[in-house]
Amino acid sequence: MASQPLPLPRFAHSLRIQLRVIGALLRREMLTRYGRHNIGFMWLFVEPMLFTIGVTALWTATKSFHGSDLPIVAFALTGYSSVLLWRNMPGRCIGALQANLPLMYHRNIKVGDIYAARLLLEFGGATISFVSLAVLFIAAEWMSPPDDFLKVAAGWLLIAWFGAALAMGLGALSYLNDLVDKLWHPFSYLLFPLSGAAFLVAALPKFAQEIVLWIPIVHGVEMVREGFFGSKAQAVYDLTYLIPFNLILSVVSLIILRYVSRRVVPE
Amino acid sequence: MIEVRDLRKVYPTRFGENVVLDGISFDLGKGEKLGILGRNGAGKSTMIRLISGAERPTSGSVRSSMSVSWPLAFGGAFQPNLTGLDNIRFISRIYDQDIESNLQFVDDFAELGPYLGEEVRTYSSGMRARLAFAISMIIEFDCFLIDEIGAVGDARFHDRCNRELFRKRGDRAMIIISHDASYIRDHCTRFAVLHGGKLEQFGDFDRAYGDFRAKIGLDAQDRFDPRELADNRQQLIETTHTIAMLDDAFRTAVQAGDWKRDDGQWDAAEKEYLGALALYPYQRSYWVQAAHAAKEMGEDVRAEIAYRTAIALGEAYGDVREHLEFVVQRQGDKLAQFPAHLYSSCAAQNAAPAAPDIEMFARAFWRGSTIDDTAMLALLREHATCDGALAVMLNDSRFDPRNTQPPQRRRSPASRIANLVTIACPHLSPSEKETLAASPALLAAPWRAIIAAGGFADWDALGQIPAEAA
Repeated sequence: MASQPLPLPRFAHSLRIQLRVIGALLRREMLTRYGRHNIGFMWLFVEPMLFTIGVTALWTATKSFHGSDLPIVAFALTGYSSVLLWRNMPGRCIGALQANLPLMYHRNIKVGDIYAARLLLEFGGATISFVSLAVLFIAAEWMSPPDDFLKVAAGWLLIAWFGAALAMGLGALSYLNDLVDKLWHPFSYLLFPLSGAAFLVAALPKFAQEIVLWIPIVHGVEMVREGFFGSKAQAVYDLTYLIPFNLILSVVSLIILRYVSRRVVPE
Repeated sequence: MIEVRDLRKVYPTRFGENVVLDGISFDLGKGEKLGILGRNGAGKSTMIRLISGAERPTSGSVRSSMSVSWPLAFGGAFQPNLTGLDNIRFISRIYDQDIESNLQFVDDFAELGPYLGEEVRTYSSGMRARLAFAISMIIEFDCFLIDEIGAVGDARFHDRCNRELFRKRGDRAMIIISHDASYIRDHCTRFAVLHGGKLEQFGDFDRAYGDFRAKIGLDAQDRFDPRELADNRQQLIETTHTIAMLDDAFRTAVQAGDWKRDDGQWDAAEKEYLGALALYPYQRSYWVQAAHAAKEMGEDVRAEIAYRTAIALGEAYGDVREHLEFVVQRQGDKLAQFPAHLYSSCAAQNAAPAAPDIEMFARAFWRGSTIDDTAMLALLREHATCDGALAVMLNDSRFDPRNTQPPQRRRSPASRIANLVTIACPHLSPSEKETLAASPALLAAPWRAIIAAGGFADWDALGQIPAEAA
């Protein structure tokens, strides 16, 4: 019936199992996290929306300096949404394995599936929040529609890629050492102001530009802004830095993941 | 077919490597049922996890052409803050099963009624067990891994589980580990003993169990550890029950006793029980079993000694009374003449004496170190307190303050004169007790060592010692 043994593992078959497992984990995760009370799983994107609205309001009220004549609402939306995207993924994956150790008894569920489900959920939540707010703000005429939609999407996906790769590596490492959990919080707080969410690279002095451009997320955020505002954004980014960086980070994270999944001891 | 080859599992620990499984190989064909015996911590559960694929071996391989279950009756299969229904849905999705029919099955089988819609964390442990078992049954596997299933639920549920597993799924392969050796005996076709990381296989249960007991016996010859000493006699009695049941040597002996009792081999059963009680003489409930066996053989003196001991150690008098009365009457006496002395939680000297107390006093203080059953029974009948019994024993001609003990060889608490330290010297600190229990002086002349340490201080018996002995 369920898990008929196969003479040969066929890729399509395995893929189907994996997708089914990730799907089941996704629904389980949503239920565990948001339950069926009040708005239920809608918290998935309502929560980041509230965050973004709050920050947008705050920055508008204080008329934060951001070194350009871009509308502050649009600036805050693009900036803070990307922070939520790359920062929540590792936050959710750290400790995820420990919390789900009993699931390891089901042979179809692999360590990577647990991370995949959480990453998809985080990506979904952040994206729905970003898109809904953008549509809302555009409709309210607080900002204009994106200059180049595909560029926004590409930048957004590159940030997500970075976040996902980092999350998987840190998540797996956190199974080996508790310090990861402790250090991630201060690290992510410090990275936030440096991530390009609250400044435009072009507005920085030359030496500062050189420093912040070492941080891969800055490139992604700049790309999203260019997609939104076109040449007005004076975006500075380099895909030949960001993409190889993401690739190497992904490989390293997958190696750690493999190392951990060979050593995981279910409860 | 499951092929296990050279399975090794090593866990790194702070003290170096812990080799749990050290090269295990076996095959399990369709429909075969393998029962695994092994002491606590022998690695049985680790082996099950490796076979289930939940954990990977350090080296070696598990190859399977059958679908293999997760370890059954394992409650962790579900998420506590989801409802029972959501948990069933999740498992159904993972294994690609029809959700509606599974919900129906679990509802019928687990009998949780409306609780199925409640979060699992609000369930009692019995409800969890019912849900866990029902969920395990919705997926059809070729091979079931069963880890300690005997421990869950009430008798009726247990019956239904057995029907579901062994009758409806009698054609499946199984690997069973259980503390309840009867369960393994009754349900398996092949047996194996896991010990020291190695697996030895047997075609017949009795040989497997014999081998298991022999292996436990070898380990049991550890030196006695004086740090295990209880603070006083009450504590000794109160903790013995739990400690004894955690000891494989004790458990296998009483298990063997139970089987022989069920076969009507009273003599052999009594020997097994008394062998177990030699390890933990203050374990009250098996004194009752030993007494029943002696009663069946018409050994009324031994039976009465054992019943009185059980009562003195706190077995419920109401449960034992009619049996005690029966053996007393068969000896031509009346219970009213020799009332039972019940357990009370008080200092040793005021507590009702039990056979292990008398036996230990005789061993330590009497020339020849033994006491016969008639004398033992007389003491238990006559005296309501240990103090009274000791006073009589000290005034016996066999009392010898210079009596010595043979060197302690086996880990047999009865032969441990050390319990004497617990009973006579509750006033000593744990470290003083430890020193005294381990001292050669205690073996050379127990009476002198105990008196020198201030033992029996509040006992009236001490003031009644004949002049020549004092």
